[in-house]
Amino acid sequence: MDPFQVRGRFLTALAIRIDVDKPDASFFAALEDKIRTASNLLVGAPIVLDLEPVPNLVDRDLLREVITAIKSKGLLLFGVQNANEEQRALAEAFGLIPVQIGRDAPAHKVRSDAPARTRGLARVENKIITKHVRSGQMIVAERGDLTVIGSVASGAEVVASGNIHIYGTLRGRAMAGANGDASARIFCRQLEAELLAVAGLFKTSETIDTDLRRCSVQVFLEDETLCIERVE
Amino acid sequence: MTQLKDKAPLGKVIVITSGKGGVGKTTSAAAIAAALAKRGHKTVVIDFDVGLRNLDMIMGCERRVVFDFINVIQGEARLKQALIRDKRLDTLWILPTSQTRDKDALTQEGVEKVLNELKEQFDYIICDSPAGIERGAQLAMYFADEAVVVTNPEVSSVRDSDRVLGLLASKTKRAESEGTEVKAQVLLTRHDQRRIDAGEMMTIEDVLEILAVPLLGVIPESPAILRASNVGMPVVLDEPSAAGRSYETAVARLLGEDVDMHMEGEKRPGFFSRLFGASA
Repeated sequence: MDPFQVRGRFLTALAIRIDVDKPDASFFAALEDKIRTASNLLVGAPIVLDLEPVPNLVDRDLLREVITAIKSKGLLLFGVQNANEEQRALAEAFGLIPVQIGRDAPAHKVRSDAPARTRGLARVENKIITKHVRSGQMIVAERGDLTVIGSVASGAEVVASGNIHIYGTLRGRAMAGANGDASARIFCRQLEAELLAVAGLFKTSETIDTDLRRCSVQVFLEDETLCIERVE
Repeated sequence: MTQLKDKAPLGKVIVITSGKGGVGKTTSAAAIAAALAKRGHKTVVIDFDVGLRNLDMIMGCERRVVFDFINVIQGEARLKQALIRDKRLDTLWILPTSQTRDKDALTQEGVEKVLNELKEQFDYIICDSPAGIERGAQLAMYFADEAVVVTNPEVSSVRDSDRVLGLLASKTKRAESEGTEVKAQVLLTRHDQRRIDAGEMMTIEDVLEILAVPLLGVIPESPAILRASNVGMPVVLDEPSAAGRSYETAVARLLGEDVDMHMEGEKRPGFFSRLFGASA
């Protein structure tokens, strides 16, 4: 028997995209501010540095400063994406892994091209599920809202490009605005979710306020922060 | 073999399944089959756990196995040669499996052919599923008319049962080609009120809230079950015990009888009537 096993693993990571060629004092102040306000989302989550808009950011010291600033705040920065050859060499020297990612979906970027995409589609296709969604099942509403009249079990996944409504207990994962629609919301009768996500921003059961457990809630994005609010 | 009844056999296929291992599938399959047979229904219990055959030991017929389920599927023996008649009940038969082959020896066509042949002779065909959700378990449930999902009152067992309920609703012949559902019920085993009171186990209400299917019965954790397995005796045929009586009640309910569940040593007598509605 082999002394080890190789298994596939999916990993959800957050990407921090650098939009300025020469990060200056105001960049670092903004970064620090962002990390402080969204610390429950960012701290402890795996993070990659997205260098797509800044092919000219190849200054060794500057890049080191950016990496140090992120790491020193307790963020788990492990890789870079969309790096050019020069950047990749630098990143590797700093111990970061070049990650190949097909396409990322930060909220504000998609907001601009989402309407263009929906314009081409004939119509919205909402989906209604009248049974419980069992562990291991995955229900996807690719072009519209998803309504579940029943519960979503632990280990089950419900995904919609629009809103998700669950008239039961949400024990599994729910991902609304899967194509990047930041206005999508999740509603559920009773919250015991493993994961909640809107337009790629997520919270896991560990980071969900325990006071909200078993409550009727809605989940939405506000200032690029995932908010969970009681609805009575 | 003389056919005592004039009417054609019922030919109902019931799978005993769970997802998780060690929750009491084989014990339950043996007890349910024996309780059905005891009531006069001609019953056969089939072991689908190819390669890890246990049912014959629980039924106490391991030394009488010559041919098995796999031999029949592969055309090496006739069904009649592989069926073992129970020595205690003449309405109970066992179709053991192979210990030397693996689950790949099961084919959908082969299983269907054997089940169709059994349907012509038996009222109830009890399929003892292997653990897991792979080939063996999928074929055990594929042709089922009804399912008994054996669950322990603890989170991993409940989650696995939920997964199996999802498969029963989608990966069965009824679901795929007939658009009807396999009727599924939960059998809660290893129930221990003391451990529930101590907060170490889930309550029956919690389990049912998650699984959202009817409760067939509650089997108490009992030394009688271990004893019965060790001597190769289905617990309902062994000395009278709380576990044995619970299985008999579960089988009465499986047959559609309106029997109230009551648990021996139950501290809250009103509980079951609250769950199922009062019945006289």
